[in-house]
Amino acid sequence: MTVLSWKSVLFQLLLAAGGITIFTVGAFVKNKPKPLLFSLAIGTVLSAAVAALLIDGGRTPFFQMLDVGAYARFFNVLFALVAFFSLLFSHRHAGLRQVAGDEFYGLMILAVLGMSLVAGATHWLVFFLGFELLSLTFYILITMRRDDPLGNEAALKYLIMGMVSGGFLAFGIAMFYASTGTLDMPIGLADLKNTGSPTGMLLSLGLILTAAGFKISLVPFHLWTPDVYQGAPTPVTAFLTTGSKIAVFAGLLRILMLSSNWLWVHSLPVLWTLAAATLLIGSVTALAQTRLKRLLAYSSVAQMGYAVMGALAIREDGGLSVIFYFTAYALMDLGAFGAIATLCASPESDLDELDSYRGLGYSHPWQAALLTLCLLSLAGLPPTAGFIGKFMVFKAVLQARYAVLAVIGIASAILSIFVYLKVIVVMFMKPKKDVAVTSGFGMAARIAFAVILFGVLWAGVFPSPLQTLISRIIASIGI
Amino acid sequence: MNASLLGIIVFLPLLGALGALACRQNVRACRLLALTVMLTDLVLVLSLFALSPHTAGIAGNWLRIEDYSWMDSLGIRFTLALDGISLLLILLTTALGALAILVSWKEITDHVAAFHFFLLAMLTGVLGVFLATDLFLFYLFWEIQAIPMFFLIGIWGHDRRIYATVKFALFTISGSLVMLLALLSLHLLHARQTGETTFALLQLIHTSFSRPLELALFGAFVLAFAIKIPLVPVHTWLPDAHTEAPTAGSVILAGLLLKTGVYALLRFAFPLFPHAAQFFTPLLLVLGLTGIFYAGWIALAQEDLKRLVAYSSISHMGLIVVGIVVWNITTLSGSLIQMINHGITTSALFILIGMLDERLHTRKLSELGGLWKTLPVWSGFFLFFSLAAIGLPGLNNFVGEILILVGTFTERPWTAAAGFIGLLWTVIYGLRMLRKSLWGEARHRPDIADLTRRELAILIPLCLGVIWLGLHPGPALESSGRPWPD
Repeated sequence: MTVLSWKSVLFQLLLAAGGITIFTVGAFVKNKPKPLLFSLAIGTVLSAAVAALLIDGGRTPFFQMLDVGAYARFFNVLFALVAFFSLLFSHRHAGLRQVAGDEFYGLMILAVLGMSLVAGATHWLVFFLGFELLSLTFYILITMRRDDPLGNEAALKYLIMGMVSGGFLAFGIAMFYASTGTLDMPIGLADLKNTGSPTGMLLSLGLILTAAGFKISLVPFHLWTPDVYQGAPTPVTAFLTTGSKIAVFAGLLRILMLSSNWLWVHSLPVLWTLAAATLLIGSVTALAQTRLKRLLAYSSVAQMGYAVMGALAIREDGGLSVIFYFTAYALMDLGAFGAIATLCASPESDLDELDSYRGLGYSHPWQAALLTLCLLSLAGLPPTAGFIGKFMVFKAVLQARYAVLAVIGIASAILSIFVYLKVIVVMFMKPKKDVAVTSGFGMAARIAFAVILFGVLWAGVFPSPLQTLISRIIASIGI
Repeated sequence: MNASLLGIIVFLPLLGALGALACRQNVRACRLLALTVMLTDLVLVLSLFALSPHTAGIAGNWLRIEDYSWMDSLGIRFTLALDGISLLLILLTTALGALAILVSWKEITDHVAAFHFFLLAMLTGVLGVFLATDLFLFYLFWEIQAIPMFFLIGIWGHDRRIYATVKFALFTISGSLVMLLALLSLHLLHARQTGETTFALLQLIHTSFSRPLELALFGAFVLAFAIKIPLVPVHTWLPDAHTEAPTAGSVILAGLLLKTGVYALLRFAFPLFPHAAQFFTPLLLVLGLTGIFYAGWIALAQEDLKRLVAYSSISHMGLIVVGIVVWNITTLSGSLIQMINHGITTSALFILIGMLDERLHTRKLSELGGLWKTLPVWSGFFLFFSLAAIGLPGLNNFVGEILILVGTFTERPWTAAAGFIGLLWTVIYGLRMLRKSLWGEARHRPDIADLTRRELAILIPLCLGVIWLGLHPGPALESSGRPWPD
């Protein structure tokens, strides 16, 4: 164990250290100094991001358990940035709701650690560890406001879902071990001699896919999504919808990439059905929503449908479209929920009813502008990042010759346009109602706004740098 | 600067849009900035006329081409190309853009900066559609046109604006999404056949298809364009959108957005899928003719003046489509010049109706009447442009119509005969409109202000355009060059 090899997990070490420090400070310093804790959190996240950017751990996984190569580093940086923006959005929001404190910030840091473990795992135990860490931190983050009944209900639903999915995952891993005799992912999945029992492998993959499906909110495992998104504090929702989903999907992508051809061919029908169902049901159910957070929840379900579509084409394009889509999705959803986080109906509740958004375009132009841009990006309209993402996903799907799925995808896109247009119409074209809106729009949120606004437009007009980066990462995994 | 003149022409309105947002505190500055930007753009387009004329169209003999690498890994390049057809259309765009800003001078009083932002952004989109030859870039601009119009109608429109704008957006974007699939399939097919990853029009033309695939792809492209043109039966968004839009919105919608659909047929759908185009010719002819008759029939029953003109637009576009589909030199020249003519006359009619609405706050034919006595100057212009729209010889629409019909007659006499009868329909509803509005009992106070100087400044250039194109269309036809020979 040389110094060099410890450096390759500096990202995770920094996060763990940061989280523990925050808890320690919170425990020992009288009347929790919120600015200090906030700065600690931001500092941890940023330094971890820098560590992931600069330190290349090479292609051999750390102790054969954790990937420290380009793929994991990309997602580590992504998670750190997602956490950074969520923290910025939560700055004033957390103050308003009186949730700011060591628990909140420390748990967010630990959640990033969990995400990194899930996305980087090459050994099932690490995957499970990360999965559970992710779940546990979010259970508490969702219910941060102990006296909020909606939050408690949301956390309970997330808890039950999390426990069920954790159970599925454990059983899947057990079946995997039973079939292949190893807990090492690359070796077991690429099971070339097929020494394992084929039924066992399929069963294990199915169970793991179910567990992942719960976390990614694929249909029919998505029913927790609207309630949890609505009940959690909005910055936590932003963090949940981007970070946790991308983390589990990144892990799933790795599993799919490493799978043997036999496994891959047998998973295709399942993935196809999941994609089609998620796309259609996600868009259709969003049509009926009258509350913005629930609407965005169902829309994020549909977005995951597009991601699964892109995942189907992994063998053709190496995952370029899916990873680009995720980056774009992270930006869009962060922006959308972030904008909502800065608008509070009262110190107790977020602005949720679509009706209360009337005339927001004129009373709060910047928040409305960001929300509108992110909605247009989610709808896949140019010149936004979401458009390029959808373009690449559809191209990949057609390249992989899934024409029917592409048509279903387009149908879902058409349905979702109506959903997003509805919100924009309410914000700009309906006469204003007298709803008091407290603004949680501090300096921190403004910085986040500016970066996300710029990012969504930049990735929409000049996506080449990002695309080249992702291609290089995929090349370095060497499928 | 000379090297990227086309790029500047396309993006200048967008810069103006951002500038308008920047000076949103000063309403007058916004308006002046927007107007200056569009007039500058107009001058730049006029300077393009100095380039050598008489060059051909889609065959690849461009007057000017600007090509930059953009997303090389995906095979997408930023390519703008100019030929006679697009030159005339971008001239129309910049001219109508400037007029739209002038028309809104007094009409739009809320959120003026945002209004000009959306108007100018949309003009960038339209200019881009007319100039792009990379299919991805074309698609980008095609979608970009729709979103600002959605806001324009939705925020500054009339009573049923939300219904109209959502319908418009849904129809347009649905068509575009279907086209996206076809576009991607075309690109992938070409890559599979030749190994080139490209979205460039001139390279994609050399793709060979199996028959059913070509029909499907052509159908998808034409669906998107048919929604824009609009062709019956996907025309139902247009009457609502035209009626509820603010005057500037109607001008751009009728004058420009509809033309992008026809242009796209001409530039992309037909050259890319020639065999499918031949196969679908009868169907498209029937749809075009149906448009002429059906829309004319409905126009006859309209009470709302704007809605009547909207239906007349569908009717005129039907004839233009017939001209495109027949695809010989005469009809193509006719369709092209008719696009310009229709742009001028219909915009003028919408502008006049907008002026009337500002004064009388009604557009219902049952409440108008005797306007010749109340507003003589306005009525004079209205009569002039209505006669132009009806197709009075000596005025512009006649030129286009006669070229299309004579050209069609040489190949498909029955279609041409039907077209001639369709002209009769136009006369009928046009004269009804004139009779009910201009003559009869005067129902309004005689002291309503007639046209102001600003309004005259808007209408007189349009008038001159109508007369010039009607009496001396030669130069315009010449500069459009010879179209693609089949």
